[in-house]
Amino acid sequence: MVENRPLLTFFSHLALIIGISFIALPVWLAFVVSTQEASALFSGQVPLWPGEHFIENYSSILFEGEKNSGAPPILLMITNSLVMAICVAVGKITISIISAYAIVYFQFPFRQAIFWMIFMTLMLPVEVRILPTFEVIAQLGMLNSYAGLTIPLIASATATFLFRQFYMTIPDEMIEAARMDGAGPIRFFIDILLPLSRTNIAALFVILFIFGWNQYLWPLLVTTDASYYTVVMGIQRMMAVPDSDPIWHYVMATAILGMIPPVIVVVTMQKLFVKGLIETEK
Amino acid sequence: MSTVTLKDLKKTYANGFQAIHGIDMEIRDGEFIVIVGPSGCGKSTLLRMIAGLETITDGELMIDDRRVNQVEPGKRDIAMVFQNYALYPHMSVYDNMAYGLKIRKKSTEEIAQQVNRAADILEIGALLDRKPSQLSGGQRQRVAMGRAIVRDPKVFLFDEPLSNLDAKLRVQMRIEIRKLQRALKTTAIYVTHDQVEAMTLADRLIVMNGGLPEQIGSPMELYDRPATTFVAGFIGSPAMNFIPVRVDKKGATFPSGQNLNFSVPSGHENVLLGIRPEDIEITTPDLADLTLKVSVIEPLGADSLIYGSCEGMKEDLVVRVRDKATVQEEETFSVRFNQQKLHYFDPTTNSRLP
Repeated sequence: MVENRPLLTFFSHLALIIGISFIALPVWLAFVVSTQEASALFSGQVPLWPGEHFIENYSSILFEGEKNSGAPPILLMITNSLVMAICVAVGKITISIISAYAIVYFQFPFRQAIFWMIFMTLMLPVEVRILPTFEVIAQLGMLNSYAGLTIPLIASATATFLFRQFYMTIPDEMIEAARMDGAGPIRFFIDILLPLSRTNIAALFVILFIFGWNQYLWPLLVTTDASYYTVVMGIQRMMAVPDSDPIWHYVMATAILGMIPPVIVVVTMQKLFVKGLIETEK
Repeated sequence: MSTVTLKDLKKTYANGFQAIHGIDMEIRDGEFIVIVGPSGCGKSTLLRMIAGLETITDGELMIDDRRVNQVEPGKRDIAMVFQNYALYPHMSVYDNMAYGLKIRKKSTEEIAQQVNRAADILEIGALLDRKPSQLSGGQRQRVAMGRAIVRDPKVFLFDEPLSNLDAKLRVQMRIEIRKLQRALKTTAIYVTHDQVEAMTLADRLIVMNGGLPEQIGSPMELYDRPATTFVAGFIGSPAMNFIPVRVDKKGATFPSGQNLNFSVPSGHENVLLGIRPEDIEITTPDLADLTLKVSVIEPLGADSLIYGSCEGMKEDLVVRVRDKATVQEEETFSVRFNQQKLHYFDPTTNSRLP
């Protein structure tokens, strides 16, 4: 039903504009601050329009980092964050899609028990098991490495559970038809299940990428070598400078740069999974 | 083009439930076999055992002269059409049909040739680029059949393939399946619960009940000489009427006490007389075998069904008359049985008396 009610349109737009400004204003301010000179910010008044030091600030933070607080160049930290987020997302999806396949389609002893064991780890977030996990990683000598950053975060009960639920909605005839066509378990998985799970994979990738990107406590614990710092902990380090004020325009520039990759992932993947949702018959 | 041999085939599930109690059968080359029965009779289980989707607990299954009890479904050289079609939703019609051939590592040209041949036979050439979600029910059905014939298998298996279609389309596809099977001369095994489908498609019918075949034979054999009351009641619509008849020294009597005008097989005290609705005609009182009182009349167009009650009988007798019924509800009328079409059964064993 399309109605032409100008007043309603006006108010709904107004509400939307107010909502958007609530979200957008801090981001805008962060951007504005990141383009100012250090001296512009001492007055205590936050300017509302960008200054003239955009290129200068960004290039120094990207390639040199901030010496005072011992933060490495942002480019390195972004790369670290990317490696971590992608490894965590891809690893989680790979592990959980395979374990869900085993749990749903294969008969083996203690199948239900194993499923419930995986399911119960849902109740144990990273923070709860962080000390024993740290101990294990330290014993294995994986501190200060990408492996140490990512592997402990890869096991995922949530993703396993989601894939399991999705597989259960696929009719049994589908696997029977594939068996009649002569497809073995691996062909069935690659040719039928994976393409059908495309939308789930896309949605999970977005969620898990952001989960990996936003990890703070774990990277803080396992990395002492600055070359393995991630963006999120980098920002924290820049804020916690001893005996002086944080250099706000650098902090904000880092925050802006740290936001870009997740935004790109969300925007590109969103297209993919909306398209998938329309196309797949389910 | 093959024979299928079932030797004392049995299926017992892990929980101890015996679904198939032992079936012996030889299916000839190019024969169209229909397995029919009520739900839970084991007909689908039997088909799935032949397909290899259910394990065989006991007995032997041979395709041609090869024992295939332990052979994977994909290696039995059979094709199956599923009730809900089970098309791969993410693949185009072409890919759906080509998938089995791809797995068998056929060359691209051979696959294209085979798929196009099948598409021509089924007249779905224009749909090859579409996804299953863009097809109507009837078109999906054709694609499912295309997927079966493209491989040129030894045996076709059909698991209630028409039950998801509307009535009109079902009749049309039924005829097409028959024509197709005649043209390809491939051995086919078809499971249905619909006795019209069973009668029209089958070269030979298997009527199953409780995990056992009640009777195996051509549709007309089963119609003319049902071996048990179950087959008699299952084949033919509306179902055969059964009238319990008492036999003593004086002769045979209906439940109403009326005497029968014809002889019944001797040596039994109680006999179940079976007569099909179409073998009863309305007549004048002096020629009557039985007098009935109309309870319901169902006009079907070409003919009408008259349900008549008779004293001493629990169930109404059904009479089929051509055109419109000449009697009114609540009226009494006289009927005569066609003496050539009487069936007698033993009420204790339910089997046919000679």
